Amino acid sequence: MSTSDPNKLLTKADKLTKLSFTRWTADWKSATILYEQAANSFRLAKDYENAKTAYEKASKGQEMLSSPWDAAKHMESAAALAKELRNWREVADFYRRASELYIECGRPQPASDALAKGARALEDTVPEEAIQLYTDACTVLEEDEREQMAFDLYRAATNVYIKLEKYTDAAALMLKLGLAAEKSNAINSQCKAYLSAVIIYLYAHDFKQAEKCYNDCSQVDAFLSSDQNRCASKLLAAYTDGDVEEIKRVAQSSAVSHLDNVIIKLARKLPTGDVSGLKAETVEGEEILDENDLT
Amino acid sequence: MSVVDILFRVDSICSKYDKYDLDKQREQNAYGDDAFAKLYATVDSTIQAALKKSDAALAENNRAAAAALNAEVRRAKGRLMDELPKLRKLAKKKVKGLTDEDLAIREDLVLALPERIQAIPDGITTVNQPGGGGGGWSSQPNIKFESDMHRGSDYFEQSEESSQFRNEYEMRRIKQDEGLDYISEGLDTLKNLAHDMNEEMDRQVPLMDEIDTKVDRATADVRNTNKRLKQRLTESTEVI
Repeated sequence: MSTSDPNKLLTKADKLTKLSFTRWTADWKSATILYEQAANSFRLAKDYENAKTAYEKASKGQEMLSSPWDAAKHMESAAALAKELRNWREVADFYRRASELYIECGRPQPASDALAKGARALEDTVPEEAIQLYTDACTVLEEDEREQMAFDLYRAATNVYIKLEKYTDAAALMLKLGLAAEKSNAINSQCKAYLSAVIIYLYAHDFKQAEKCYNDCSQVDAFLSSDQNRCASKLLAAYTDGDVEEIKRVAQSSAVSHLDNVIIKLARKLPTGDVSGLKAETVEGEEILDENDLT
Repeated sequence: MSVVDILFRVDSICSKYDKYDLDKQREQNAYGDDAFAKLYATVDSTIQAALKKSDAALAENNRAAAAALNAEVRRAKGRLMDELPKLRKLAKKKVKGLTDEDLAIREDLVLALPERIQAIPDGITTVNQPGGGGGGWSSQPNIKFESDMHRGSDYFEQSEESSQFRNEYEMRRIKQDEGLDYISEGLDTLKNLAHDMNEEMDRQVPLMDEIDTKVDRATADVRNTNKRLKQRLTESTEVI
């Protein structure tokens, strides 16, 4: 029976589960086994569509058998196949369902892993959905007080935001990272997160916001006495002086080179826009021409 | 005829014809002559020696040796300049056997002396030292410029040596700074790596604890199962 045509297995299993006059209760146990076998054979035959459906049904069966762990596992396999089929809507749905099942098991770690996998799959195609998944994954971890694992997720989400050019959101995520790092006593990551936030604001040419961000971060003792703090203050000083050479030099410094790749790319592209305009603003008076340059 | 005989013969012939030997006559004349000629001869020979030393200094690769030679040349020049006023006085004195023409000539010679003395190269004016002696001594043009301003003062000559050494010191210090910058960059990277490793370790501690509990549970289960298996086995063998 195990080597027979997977389609036949599928139909057999369906028959077992469908309620009709002759059958009052669905026999999920044997049905699930059949579904799993069918799904495996389909996958080997590279019949992704059918394999996906089979995995879905297998997962349902496991649910009915009250084993959410297996159900979640099947859901994940189904999601992976949906990715092959490029069915993005389904990918997101499946991964979410899988993570819910994992949470049911009481296992938040695999739950967030599932969401992260989904987000990674959708990064290029549906970035907004990917960001949503990332933030959900981070929330799951934070609820479980495992912020350490969330660092990678925050960084990946920030990268997606930067690709979408949503710099304020990216910087906000960095600040959240800083918060998580503080809770888990990861000072280095915290300082790096704050420095990245300042750089993102500067890249968006939002100098006021960058300064505000820097002031906020300076309230934190750990940041105040760190290398990254010195680097950030040098950068801001260079900006107020309008010294392009100095900005470039700070961007080449080692503190910046230890940040994320995407942030390093942003830093190298500094300064964006007219730096001397900032200088005029901070000194005095409305040099209207320069302000126009900024916008 | 033996060698001794030959020697005696040569000596007697030489002494006979000595008056025809120009060089010797000149020398004797110089000695027999007045103080001016004597002094002038010594000055001349000193100038020649100084010129030779300055040539040697130019060809010298070792900076310290070159500086030492140049210092000697400068000292010689200083001494010569001191001798000059004496020479001038002697030149004016009338010596017996000396024509008026000769006197004028002597005065001209004395006048020409200072120029000749100053023309002796003593390292102040040389610009293109061989660069092999320790890489990048581009401070030489600076020294040349300064010496043009303070030409001929003894005080400056001494501090010029020290400024050379000071420049050497500055160059070496700049090189040290560059090296230290390089090292500091490497250390920064190391520090960052160490911090990241630290955080990673911290992250893995609770995971290890979880693994620990789970594995403990698993071993307990396995032990129980083994015990039960053994019991069953002993029971079944007993029955038999």
